[in-house]
Amino acid sequence: MTPAQTIAIGAALLAGGLWLQLPRGATRGRWWGMVLAAVGIGILASLLLTIQRAHPVAETVFFAVAVTTVVSAVGAVTMRSPVYCALWFALTLVGTAALLLFQGAQFLGMATMVVYAGAILVTFLFVLMLAQPEGHTYYDRVSWEPVLAACTGAVLIGLLTASIFLPTEGVRQSGWKFDAVTAVTTDARQQEILDPDHMAHLGGQLFSRYLVAVEVAGTLLLVALVGAVAIVMHGEQKRGGRAPSSGAVAGGGGRVLPEVGHG
Amino acid sequence: MDEVQLLERYLFIGALLFGIGMVGFVSRRNMIVMFLAAEMMLQGVSLSLVAWGRFRNDWGGQILVIFILTVAACEAAIALALVLMLYHRSGKLDVAFWQTVREANQPRYVDHELPDEPLTVEHWPTLPPAGVEPVHSVEETIHRSHV
Repeated sequence: MTPAQTIAIGAALLAGGLWLQLPRGATRGRWWGMVLAAVGIGILASLLLTIQRAHPVAETVFFAVAVTTVVSAVGAVTMRSPVYCALWFALTLVGTAALLLFQGAQFLGMATMVVYAGAILVTFLFVLMLAQPEGHTYYDRVSWEPVLAACTGAVLIGLLTASIFLPTEGVRQSGWKFDAVTAVTTDARQQEILDPDHMAHLGGQLFSRYLVAVEVAGTLLLVALVGAVAIVMHGEQKRGGRAPSSGAVAGGGGRVLPEVGHG
Repeated sequence: MDEVQLLERYLFIGALLFGIGMVGFVSRRNMIVMFLAAEMMLQGVSLSLVAWGRFRNDWGGQILVIFILTVAACEAAIALALVLMLYHRSGKLDVAFWQTVREANQPRYVDHELPDEPLTVEHWPTLPPAGVEPVHSVEETIHRSHV
């Protein structure tokens, strides 16, 4: 089978699996969706992943983390209940952090855990607690165009797989001897990006070469802070200066509602 | 482990996260879940960037991911404020509620009737009673200030 056919079959199975798992009003066939998606991803991965028997421990760790990440990512976008989505997304974040650590990006691994899982995700759950009504709502049980969405995603993943696979095919044939291309030796990598003084190097780069960008990012954070406060204040004034009450859960009564049903 | 293979694996996982996140973003209707899916796309990009950075022996990839984290934090602040405002106006997190702002030539999206979900009996964990219940003193019950 040619690589193109393999990619097409894998992407098609992935599309079917994603479609079966997405909320579409029925819960029938979700397990089949899981199986199909797993097989599709496996077929796509079979092009790329050749298991290296020389490092059994590293391989086991890598595959365990990678599978956890991808499975929880699928769970995060397909669960009916938004709380489950958030919890699966937390697992994705843990997996991503582990993958970053596996690459030697220690600071980013920890920052992902602290910033994403610690701050952003908790804020999510906070908003969900404020806003989520009991049980599965109608809009959690259906999706926009699940067939088209799954197909688009699968085509994108298939094309990306092809664009990763094709340039390195020659390397694969030659048994993974590729160092001449980057001209980066293992020693150079050990002294630079895999240096034990990881933070010192990263901080040095951040505050010398990228100093202006750091200042801009700080300004951006300030602007976002002011913006968030302004949005909330504006909404308060629109509602006549009343504090946001939990009565909004019922929805409707006397609030500013956009016109639905026209046009 | 061979560096090319490592790069290839990380790019593949990054592509998967990005694609799955995109499917979630375009298909889900809950605004918070859409937002989660967008964050997942950012995660996929971050993985690819770090992999490239290691492959090229360059710090640029990791630095860029730090800025992605910054932008994601800003995005979270703004988006959650917006979601809360929209929720206060409409009473739901449904993004289809706001379809009045669509293009004039687009047809209106009509919800179909769904059968009710079958009722499932939830089994919540319960704690077994431990020890003997102490004797409550009447004094204490009477004099306790009501909070």
